[in-house]
Amino acid sequence: MILHYKCPSCGSDMSFDAESGDLSCQSCGRHENIENYPEELVTTRFSADEASEYHCENCGAILITTAETAATSCSYCGAAVVIADRLSGQLAPAKVIPFTISKEEAMAAFQKWCRKGLLTPKDFMTADRIKSITGIYVPFWLFDLNSKVQVNAECTRVRTYTQGDYIYTETKYYDAFRDINLDYLKIPVDASVKMNDELMDKLEPYPYDLLKDFKTPYLAGYMAEKYNFTDEELFPRAKEKISGYIDSYISSTFSGYHSTRIKNKHIDTRNVKSNYVLLPVWMVSYDYKNLDYTFAMNGQTGKVVGKPPISTGKVTAWFSGIAVGTFFALKIVSFVMGGELW
Amino acid sequence: MRESHIQKRSLLVLLMMTLLVLPWGMPTAKAETFDRNHYIYDYAHLLTDGESVELQHVASERGKERETAFIIITLDDTNGKDIVQYVEDFYDEHGPGFNQPHGNTVILAIDMNERDVYLAGFKKAEQYLDNSRLDLIREELTPDLSDGQYYDAFSVFINRAYEYMGNEPDNGELGYTGNGSIGSPQENISYDIKGHPSKNIFFQSWFQLIVSLIMAGVVVMIMAYRAGGRVTVNARTYMDSQRSKVVDQYDNFVRQTVTKQKKPSNNTNSGGGGGVTRGGHSHSGSRGKF
Repeated sequence: MILHYKCPSCGSDMSFDAESGDLSCQSCGRHENIENYPEELVTTRFSADEASEYHCENCGAILITTAETAATSCSYCGAAVVIADRLSGQLAPAKVIPFTISKEEAMAAFQKWCRKGLLTPKDFMTADRIKSITGIYVPFWLFDLNSKVQVNAECTRVRTYTQGDYIYTETKYYDAFRDINLDYLKIPVDASVKMNDELMDKLEPYPYDLLKDFKTPYLAGYMAEKYNFTDEELFPRAKEKISGYIDSYISSTFSGYHSTRIKNKHIDTRNVKSNYVLLPVWMVSYDYKNLDYTFAMNGQTGKVVGKPPISTGKVTAWFSGIAVGTFFALKIVSFVMGGELW
Repeated sequence: MRESHIQKRSLLVLLMMTLLVLPWGMPTAKAETFDRNHYIYDYAHLLTDGESVELQHVASERGKERETAFIIITLDDTNGKDIVQYVEDFYDEHGPGFNQPHGNTVILAIDMNERDVYLAGFKKAEQYLDNSRLDLIREELTPDLSDGQYYDAFSVFINRAYEYMGNEPDNGELGYTGNGSIGSPQENISYDIKGHPSKNIFFQSWFQLIVSLIMAGVVVMIMAYRAGGRVTVNARTYMDSQRSKVVDQYDNFVRQTVTKQKKPSNNTNSGGGGGVTRGGHSHSGSRGKF
């Protein structure tokens, strides 16, 4: 089943407007509030292999999609379409953070970011070779995790004092135990096989107070994907994401000691709740010297990540500048110190 | 430092004037009767006769090779004199040396009352056994002295001093002039000033260059690494601080250990160590406790 949004007043295609957060009509300017929009999808059931071919509701052309595509535009007439059966039942997202950065703003923000790069080549900075900029709702699982941690450690406290001609070093050994309960809420793990995990991790944090109940019109005009991995499959990665946090919390509980040697550590992490959500990401594809560079931008905060090309000239300039500067600074310091010593 | 330098000089002028007035006959007369081939002065009777003879033998053998007198003095007390003063006076009065009065001499003196140990190098030994080398020797033999292993400590002294005397000193450019009386005090001072910076690795140009290159490399690496964007979430971002807490804990005292270490004496390694005797002989030195 294909969802296509027609303007009730003029009949043109409607799509999501990042600025107002409404469904808007480009022809007549009519705005339609999404939160009050009737939504019967979540309860509708589709059989998984109901349709292998979709036709555009607007012009009837065949929609070219991958198996994961949940929202796209008709390549023939350009109408925003949502493939509803890929977003229903098991596949229905619970929440969505809508885009607040429009395509033009994303473009401008990306160009600004390019100019800030200290090692970026000059002709890259102009950012005039953007091949494509695509707004994608990336499927994420938000995990609420509960960890029960039991740690046993041998800790020492060291005190030195002077008595007579001797310096005494007194070391006290303690057998320390901590039973810790840790709750981590909404750990985001991307569920799309196409997205680079490292890139997605750097896009965090997302403002969770802007999470909205999922409605299909939010996707109109953007690309969207259904998840490739279930929450069960991604649970190990969620645990891995918090393992560093747990370790730093454990060591913070031993802060009064001079040394801590963990004897045994038992961590039991459970998945309390996992929600399927769609988070907004602008993907920028950039062509520079016949190489493709991919950047991602948080569609809410505007944070840009991705490795820009590195200019050898600028690296050399920075390197020699810092080296020469440091060398002279050291020379001056040693001269001043030498003078003092005299 | 500059002030003390001036002070030292004016004191020196005063000393020299006093020395001119003083009758010179007595010390020189003493120096003549002094047995220059006797090296072990065990006034505190710390050594057995056999050990004493053995050390005397080693000192004279080693001394011949290095053309230097290796002298060991043990004292029950110094009659209220400071140990440095005692050694300086010893050199002035007796004028030890390998084959001439007031010649190449290195002296190890220990005072059992104050538990002071002092090493001094004169003439060639001042150049070859500078303060830092004497410090090294003193640090090596102090544990033996503390343990009462006097013979071992004295053997270490003779052997190490012998080895160092065979190696060119670090500051070869400041050659020893051989004129040990009036001219040497100033030489000694300039030695200290010029000698210090070149000894410290921080003042070496090659070291500074390496530091600069490493610094630049690290900074550029960080810049390149950060160009791709950074993770801006931390442990607190996703933690539910209301429900995350230590539920149960205990800290049981198990045992305690105490180690003790001798307090480092204030006047050790204070850079100086050397000085000038009343007789105008400059020397290097290293002082400590045991």
